[in-house]
Amino acid sequence: MNLIASSPFPGSAGCSIRGHAVVASRLSSLAALRDAAVPPGCPALPPRFLRQSDEHTVVAVRAVLAAMAGLPEPMNFDRCGVIAAPCQAGRIAAARSLTQLQASGAGGVSPPIVPQCSLHSLGDAVSVALGMHGPHIGVGGGPDALAEGLFAAVSLVQGGTGSGCDLAWLVVTDWDTEPLLDAAGMPTNDPSCRALAMLLAPADPADDDRLSLSLHMPTAAVGAALPADPPAGGLAAFCRAVEMCATGSVLTSWAVSCPWGAEIRLVVREQVEGLMLHRIPAAVSRRREAA
Amino acid sequence: MTPPDRSALEPVVITGVGAVSPLGCAFDEIADNLLAGRSGVRAINPGPDAGEPVQFAAPVARIPSPLAGTCGLHPGEFERLGRLEQLCLSPLAAAVADAGLDCDRGPRIGLVLGLGAEHLTTWELDFLEGGERVLGDSRDRTLVHRLARRLGIGGPAVTVAAACASSGYAMAMGRTWIDSGWVDACVVGGCDILSPTAIAAFSHLRALSRRTDDPARASRPFDGDRDGFVMAEGGAFFVLERQTAARARAATIRGELAGVGMSSDGQHLAMPSPDPVHAARAISAALANAGVAPEEIDYVNAHAAGTPVGDIAEAGAIRQALGAATDGIPVSSTKSMSGHMISGAAAFEALACLAAIERQAAPPTINLDRPDVQCRLDHVPHVFRPRRIRVTASNSFGFGGSNLCLVLRAA
Repeated sequence: MNLIASSPFPGSAGCSIRGHAVVASRLSSLAALRDAAVPPGCPALPPRFLRQSDEHTVVAVRAVLAAMAGLPEPMNFDRCGVIAAPCQAGRIAAARSLTQLQASGAGGVSPPIVPQCSLHSLGDAVSVALGMHGPHIGVGGGPDALAEGLFAAVSLVQGGTGSGCDLAWLVVTDWDTEPLLDAAGMPTNDPSCRALAMLLAPADPADDDRLSLSLHMPTAAVGAALPADPPAGGLAAFCRAVEMCATGSVLTSWAVSCPWGAEIRLVVREQVEGLMLHRIPAAVSRRREAA
Repeated sequence: MTPPDRSALEPVVITGVGAVSPLGCAFDEIADNLLAGRSGVRAINPGPDAGEPVQFAAPVARIPSPLAGTCGLHPGEFERLGRLEQLCLSPLAAAVADAGLDCDRGPRIGLVLGLGAEHLTTWELDFLEGGERVLGDSRDRTLVHRLARRLGIGGPAVTVAAACASSGYAMAMGRTWIDSGWVDACVVGGCDILSPTAIAAFSHLRALSRRTDDPARASRPFDGDRDGFVMAEGGAFFVLERQTAARARAATIRGELAGVGMSSDGQHLAMPSPDPVHAARAISAALANAGVAPEEIDYVNAHAAGTPVGDIAEAGAIRQALGAATDGIPVSSTKSMSGHMISGAAAFEALACLAAIERQAAPPTINLDRPDVQCRLDHVPHVFRPRRIRVTASNSFGFGGSNLCLVLRAA
């Protein structure tokens, strides 16, 4: 696949990562996160806000709060946007609702199923919980959610001719393995739900952000057949790559492939004797190394 | 939110239109029905519970099979697809054919699908047919990728969701990809489906009208006797491309997607903010993005679904954004005829704006017998209003406080 960067300045074609955090919780432990205190310096959540939320929404809101708490200085998020990319969120609640629909008819359908378990629900929750007034959307929804979320985020932040959005949270969520449900919709395993929250801003060579995302568009046509499904665990591996790049403990890079051939690469910028170096992957195959 | 200046960017125009709706599936048929004030609402079987209070909606009567050769499917194969895929594929293929676009699997054509609850719908339809996908561990690839492959679209393909504004956000994202030079053309829009769970859930939220004895008069935006919206299925898709590219290939230009404005209430998961400031900001941002002043707007297609709170909030937002020009600008809600297509609503109402531009007439709000004094606007009750229309604005507001305004301009 031939690729071309979306700007002639590698490392700036995309957006800077101003901050990030990862939150993961076993399903069995997730209840504790619903009512946990917010980190110091973060805005309080509305009362009982996460009580009925989907599991993805709970870890997503917690990841955004954790990332906020980790920022070097307070920021104004009033006009901040939200791009939320969950993978199959809402399945446990949907299963329960459908079994109730079957057992007791339409009267058994829970009213919050639509506002709490749709693709946009996670972004809705982050926007409402933190009172942000920039645009918010849900993206993806399936196994390509990480790639679609990264691509949409770069769209909104870097190419946002209509959005006016110069700061946005990207939140990607997934299970490490999908919950297995019995006939009543009750889980029979204890998977872990993970959220990565990244605060993104338009790339600016003058910024000293260590991490950025770089978009590379394909120049050749893709085949008629869909590529193989991305393997489960892709988000966990990407989270590890972000944390390794951020801490500098290992010089590594990572690329996420989109089904249409584009790639979004993590880029590490390092200051060496006054020069800003942009370290990008020498080969796309390196994206598997951190796994 | 300050919208970026578009003056240095080339106009992005609409060269293809496709739709499925309760008011028809061809552009001319839909335009005729909108101007005639026909209702697509009728009694339906709402699902397993005969006691469900809402037993009417605006369904799509027949989904046309795509023309042979547009998606690689024979009519028999199309009939075997799930209804949601049929509802999306038919207008998508129609839009591509209308534009005369040769997709041919090149990487320079994109697809943005506005769809709010694909997995919920897919799991539900499977479950109601005896399936157990919702209980298992399958990780199903999303519909947008199947649609792209069927149509030979080889560029970026993404699903976006912003509740009732989903398909409008899809249009906004597609234009951004073109502006950024990532694609040469993009197919954008959205569609939605009626399902027992959606009807029951919205009904239990008290969001739906319960005027069961008179379905065709149930959808009555801005009316003093409104009691909720009427669910509908369908939507629309468009082909977007740069104006010079469209002219170079002698494509028919139906209009320009001139402005986009977006914001969030940041207040409640299911209720619009009673303070119109954030919705008004989206409208103002769209006008600024299009480079038009309020007095240049010739018609506003309101989101107005017929909910008691939402219509008042929107009237306030329109008045705040358009200021003194408000009283001279006709405003109507075509949901009075089409019902509310949820994910597909924004795109369908963009199509209604194109119809208003083509026919030089503002479509009416039917059933508007007694306008609510709290929704004081220049309404178009019952019958269309002939008028010079060059610039239109279309509002879409969704659950979770998503606000969107699109400005469409005559070519």
